[in-house]
Amino acid sequence: MKQSREKKISNGAVVFSYLFLILFTLLTLLPVIWMTYSSFKPMGEIMMHPMRWPSNPSLANYKKAFEFGHISIAFLNSVLYSVIATGGTVLLALAAGFALTKFGFKSAKIYMAFFTLGLLITVNSVITPLFIMETNTGLYNTRIGVILPYIAFGLPTSILIAGSYIRGIPDALVEAAVIDGASYTAIFWKIVLVISTPVIATIAVLSFLGNWNEFLLVFTLTSGQNMRSLPVSINSFAGRLNQDYGLQFAALVIGTIPMFVFYVFAHNSLVKGFGEGAIKE
Amino acid sequence: MIDIRQKKRSYFALLMPAFLVYISIIIFPILMSFGLSFTKWKQFKMVGFVGISNYVNILKDPVFQRAIWNNIQIMLVSVLGQIPLGLLLAYLLYRKWVKGTKFFEMMIFLPITISSIVVALLWNRVFSPVGLYTSFIRQVTHNPDYVVTISESPRFAMIPILIVLLWQYTSLYMVIFLANLQRIPESVFEAATIDGAKESTIISHIVLPELTGVIFTCSVLAISGSLKSFDLVFAMTGGGPVNYTTVMALYLYQQTFTFSNYGYGSAVSIIIVILSVGLISLSNRLYARAQKSIN
Repeated sequence: MKQSREKKISNGAVVFSYLFLILFTLLTLLPVIWMTYSSFKPMGEIMMHPMRWPSNPSLANYKKAFEFGHISIAFLNSVLYSVIATGGTVLLALAAGFALTKFGFKSAKIYMAFFTLGLLITVNSVITPLFIMETNTGLYNTRIGVILPYIAFGLPTSILIAGSYIRGIPDALVEAAVIDGASYTAIFWKIVLVISTPVIATIAVLSFLGNWNEFLLVFTLTSGQNMRSLPVSINSFAGRLNQDYGLQFAALVIGTIPMFVFYVFAHNSLVKGFGEGAIKE
Repeated sequence: MIDIRQKKRSYFALLMPAFLVYISIIIFPILMSFGLSFTKWKQFKMVGFVGISNYVNILKDPVFQRAIWNNIQIMLVSVLGQIPLGLLLAYLLYRKWVKGTKFFEMMIFLPITISSIVVALLWNRVFSPVGLYTSFIRQVTHNPDYVVTISESPRFAMIPILIVLLWQYTSLYMVIFLANLQRIPESVFEAATIDGAKESTIISHIVLPELTGVIFTCSVLAISGSLKSFDLVFAMTGGGPVNYTTVMALYLYQQTFTFSNYGYGSAVSIIIVILSVGLISLSNRLYARAQKSIN
């Protein structure tokens, strides 16, 4: 069976596949590899021999990046923003998803449609009023002032994903627990959250990636060095007007590494999340 | 017996945290934006209502018209570049004509994890006079003075940005298409191959009809994504030189945060919302009509 199938495949298709996939992989990886080894070269060598491997690899650029760029605090902020906002999004989305799919109230449909509307609204359509609101309420330049919008913008997609998963949990399971005298809150914590682990992973990975790489909100809603996240900090000390290329390369590598590590561990959930997110047709 | 009042209370207790956060951070600001779009601001203070004059001035501004055109270019590259390329990559990986498909998939999908800011600054280096691309072209053409000048051209300044967008997002569509291809039962392919169907027949009679829904979803994703592009352009060119590469979101950002013109900025954001809702419902309608004519 397998034999006969393989015979049918023309050599042309195989050769084309290899060429195309190898070409695409090279185009993807070469800039990243070049960036990485260039970060170990001093400025002079980058200018003279842009393509060559470093003749004398050194960590000087990284030292400078940590000294000038306040990278450590930016990294810590990125971790805080991403972890807390992801936790918030997961919890609120699952609670809402449970309420909207398992209670049978008529208003659920309206709420669901209302949340879906949020898919059409992007950060830049609310940034002006959000900035005014945060300046007037004292939330401007605070961590909570960044985390709350992160949670809010994560909600529409997450509620849709959570809702469609929780809908699939058998009603009998919830009803049995109610008859046993369990409160709905207890059911949420002890049954819904436990059963939903796979979908929690998907939602968490997608939100975390989005939050970690977010730029506009932190950039416009904070002003102090101490509140900056990694992308904002990298842009401000190693942005396009910076002339120290070595420092810039080091900053870019620092900005890339955490997500590479994340990618290695979360690759499957990411593929699942992105892939299945669009299956709902 | 289940107490209906207690049930209702639990319902709201579970729903309200999400609802309140969503209302106060997304819905309320949108409404506020709409109100603000009819006002004029000076020195951080509202100085009065100006009717629709903000909208009129925006639409008349050549910089905004340029921004719209640039957004359209991004949209075209997304829909006609990223989606077909992503589909082709997904198909090649799905058919497993090559060894190591998992490796290829993992490597090609990798840019999705890198922040747009890093991507932008990296590609600025790649295209710079001491960059990877420039050095490569110099070696191939034996012209040691070659530099990238297209980014200075009033007509083609967007091209480097468009190339980077292809680099960054094609794999997203690849992954979406791959997930959907994998849902087509293997037996369908085997039956077709045994019947001696040509590859082109398999593609046009099995693959494309199966994927029309997803292709449509991806187009909607691509369209709404192109209208909001900000980070990459902001970090790569800042809209320059002389607004050649500005986009709507960047125009909005400058109005609000550089000139503190909150009314004008809000009007820009309302225009962006109207455009994206309009384009998405238009494509919805086109899709429905196409479906009808097929059946």
